[in-house]
Order: sequence, then C-alpha cells, then structure tokens
Amino acid sequence: MRRRTAASKGRHQKKRRDLAASGEVIHKTMTDKKITFKIKRQDKPGSPSYWQNFQVAYKPFANIISCLMEIQRNPTTKAGKTVAPVTWDCNCLEEVCGSCTMVINGKVRQACTALVDNLEQPIALEPMTKFPVVRDLQVNRTRMFENLKKVKAWIDIDGSHDIGEGAIMPDSDRAKRYVMSECMTCGCCLEACPQFSLNNSFMGAATFNQVRLFNLHPAGSMNKEERLDAVMGEGGITDCGNAQVCVEVCPKNIPLTESIADIGRQTSWQFIKNLLVK
Amino acid sequence: MTKPAKDEIHYILLKLHSLTGIVPVGAFLVIHLSINSLRTVGVWPFQLAVDALNNLPFLILIEIGFIYIPLLFHSLMGFYIIHVGKTNMFRYRYQRNWLYTMQRLTGAITFLFLIYHMGTTVGAKLWEGKHHFEAAPFLIDILNGEFQTWQGIVVYTIGIVSATFHFSNGVWGFCVSWGILIGKNAQRNGAIVFAAMGLVLTFLGLATVLEFNMNPIPVEATVAG
Repeated sequence: MRRRTAASKGRHQKKRRDLAASGEVIHKTMTDKKITFKIKRQDKPGSPSYWQNFQVAYKPFANIISCLMEIQRNPTTKAGKTVAPVTWDCNCLEEVCGSCTMVINGKVRQACTALVDNLEQPIALEPMTKFPVVRDLQVNRTRMFENLKKVKAWIDIDGSHDIGEGAIMPDSDRAKRYVMSECMTCGCCLEACPQFSLNNSFMGAATFNQVRLFNLHPAGSMNKEERLDAVMGEGGITDCGNAQVCVEVCPKNIPLTESIADIGRQTSWQFIKNLLVK
Repeated sequence: MTKPAKDEIHYILLKLHSLTGIVPVGAFLVIHLSINSLRTVGVWPFQLAVDALNNLPFLILIEIGFIYIPLLFHSLMGFYIIHVGKTNMFRYRYQRNWLYTMQRLTGAITFLFLIYHMGTTVGAKLWEGKHHFEAAPFLIDILNGEFQTWQGIVVYTIGIVSATFHFSNGVWGFCVSWGILIGKNAQRNGAIVFAAMGLVLTFLGLATVLEFNMNPIPVEATVAG
C-alpha cells in the first residue's frame, strides 16, 4: 500500500481548509441564494398526485436529503402556504442501502448522492413510477422482495442434519460474485426498464442477477434448477427486451446485462434438459 | 415439476418467437435478398433462380410451413411484445434503448410493408392468375412497373431497410437472450458483426431496386417445358 507522505498529507489538509474557507465565503455572501424544488406529492396510496414548489436556503455541498430535511423543518411552499411536510425514505446516506431511490430531474437515482451543485434547478423530485406510491416520495418495493423469495435468493445451510463444510470457490468466481452481490434492491434498474411496469409481472434485472449470484455459489448451485424454473414463466427471463437501460442506471455498476445473458444461457440449457430428460 | 403449464407455454412461445426470427423467417430474408440481387447481374440469372424456386416440389407446403406460418407467428408474437413494453428512449437516451424501440418500430413497419409487397406480387398472382406462364416473367413485369415510380422506390427502400435492420438487430437479440453472447465485449463485438451483415443485406436489397429502376428490361412470357 502506498504511504501518504507528510507533504501530500499537508497538501491534503490545505485543500480541505481551502474548501472549508470557500464554503464559508459562499455561505456568507450567498445567504439569499435559494435552491428551488418542484416536488410531486401524493397524500396516500391511490390518491391523485400534485406538484408543489419549495425553496430552501443554498448551502454548498448540499444533497437532496439535506434539502428535504430543511423542507421538513419548515414545510412552506414557495407561494408561502404551510403544508404537510414532504415524506421520503432514507437510511444509510452513503448509497449502499438503496432506500432513498427516487426520480430526480427525470432520472432515477439515489437522493443521498445527488448533490445539488451538480443539478439543474428547479430540481424535480418524483417518486419512482414503477412501484406503488405510499406517500409523497415513498414507494412500496415489496414486489422486489417477493421476487427474491420466488427465486430462492439465498443459500440453504444445514437442514435437520449437518451437511458438512461447503465446497471451496475459485477466486475468479468469488470476484464475479462480489460485484453481483453489491445489489441493494434499490429498484433503479426496474424503474428505467421499458419492459417493467406496475401492471405486469416482469421480475427485472435485479432478480435475474440474484439467480446468477446464487447459482454461481458452489453450495447455492444445489438449488440451481429451482431458481431457473422460477424465472422460466410469465414475467421471467424471456420478457427481457434487451434495452439494457438497467446496466446504465445501476448505481453499483453491476454487470446486469451480463447476468441477464448468462441466465438466458442457463435457462436455455435447462429448457433443453427439461425436454429431453424429464 | 408442479408448475402451472401457463408459464411453460409462455416460455416456449417467446423462445419460439426468438427462434423463428432466425429460422425460417430470417433465413428466408437472406435467401430472398441474395436471390433477388442476381437481377444486378442480369435478367436471365434472376429468371433462372426465380423459376428454380418456383418449380420446387411441394412448393405450397414449403411456403405455408416455412414462410407463412412462422412469419405470421413471429408477427403476432411481435405485436404482443410491442404491447407489453413501453418505450422510454427520450428519457433514458442510451444507444441500446434507442435500438430497443427501433426493433419494435421496424418490426411493425416490416409487417405493413409485407402486406403491401405480397399484395402486389403473390396477391396479384393469385387474383389475376399467371395463366400457364412461368412465374419469373410475370413478376419481372410487375416489378419493372413498380420501381418506375418514386413512391414505389420509397416504399421498397423503407421496407428493405426496416427488414434488414430488424433482422440484424434481431440476430443480436437472439444471441443475447439465448446466452450465446454474454460478456460486455462479446455483446459489443457481436453487434458490430451483425451490423456489418445488415449493411451487406441492405446493399443487396437496394442494389436490386436500383437495377430494376434504371434498367427495366421487358421479358417474354415463357412456358415451363
């Protein structure tokens, strides 16, 4: 590992001081500068949605979540009307939990890593459109969890008796699986998918990636056929249209299209096997 | 396996849609454009090839079994697939997303074009009857006329480009959904190869159209001997 020299450490600290100082300057001179938001709101599941505009004081390095917190403290629209605070989901604030996924300026992404300085204003916030809205920016992603259950996205360990140690895994497989395992079930791939909609049963890239992840595990591969059978019906792998938007919008850069093609191969063999063997 | 049969049928139908796009429908397109391009060499090679095909044994069964039924199945499943998806190419502007939409659009255009194309050729043959003449002179006469108007040229250009695009992009889709091209590089290289193949097919098709347009040689009606 490269050691950080005293000089580079000094430079680093200086850079931080400079940033902090410039931040203060911006903060002092631009207190009247505002960040404008256009938020799509919905009071309860199934009720009609409507847009409201909000303004919060500009702060350098602000992200969408910090602005939403500001709106929560002072839920007054741009027109001066006090309304119910905007609700949203968030948890980790470092793009590993996926819960703050929403549509920001027309594109799906996590609100925590969406920095205001990089966004065009007014910033439009919408809940994801492919999941039922719970309230405002909160959506219900149960469908993703149900799909994980359908494909048995887990590895069975001992049953009523000890089945012994697991097989060792080649390091190349370990490396492949690590990337795939980074999925946080955020729903970006499904929101951006032209084949996934509220009223169909398509499982989507995230689910197929999990099938590949667990089929590649030496112990997980014992349930390989069950997982493949689960994605060989309506809403399964054949419903993919290869638009490949999933891989473009995935915040974890998971090779989703590779996973889809690999599940395509596994299911094709499984289909031939079902025809000839079963 | 205690899975409902509906799921298996769904899987088989969509796999068959993918497969019929390659054989026989895609294979037919390649043969059709290749044979037709013989017209650029001369009327006689074209006439010979067309008559050879027209004199195949059990032609009507071959046409129905290997062309009409698979083509109709591929088209109907295609319209079902169009119905299931909803394009978002203007929101998520990525190349593949654009191609996704184009695949569906060209499929629909090709379907409409085929109705027109079959109306003026096969349809005319059925309605007017080719009497006892060979097929080639009859067809050449129709095509000589069809390609003299700019409308005919435009309709055929759109039809041919749609069909070759749909086929070459479809071969790529087939290779991905059957798991032949898996990795990112493999998929990109495959796309380049199939694009090149598509360009060659387009060239063959358009060259034939141009030949008919610039060089409409009338042929004598001949009788099979």
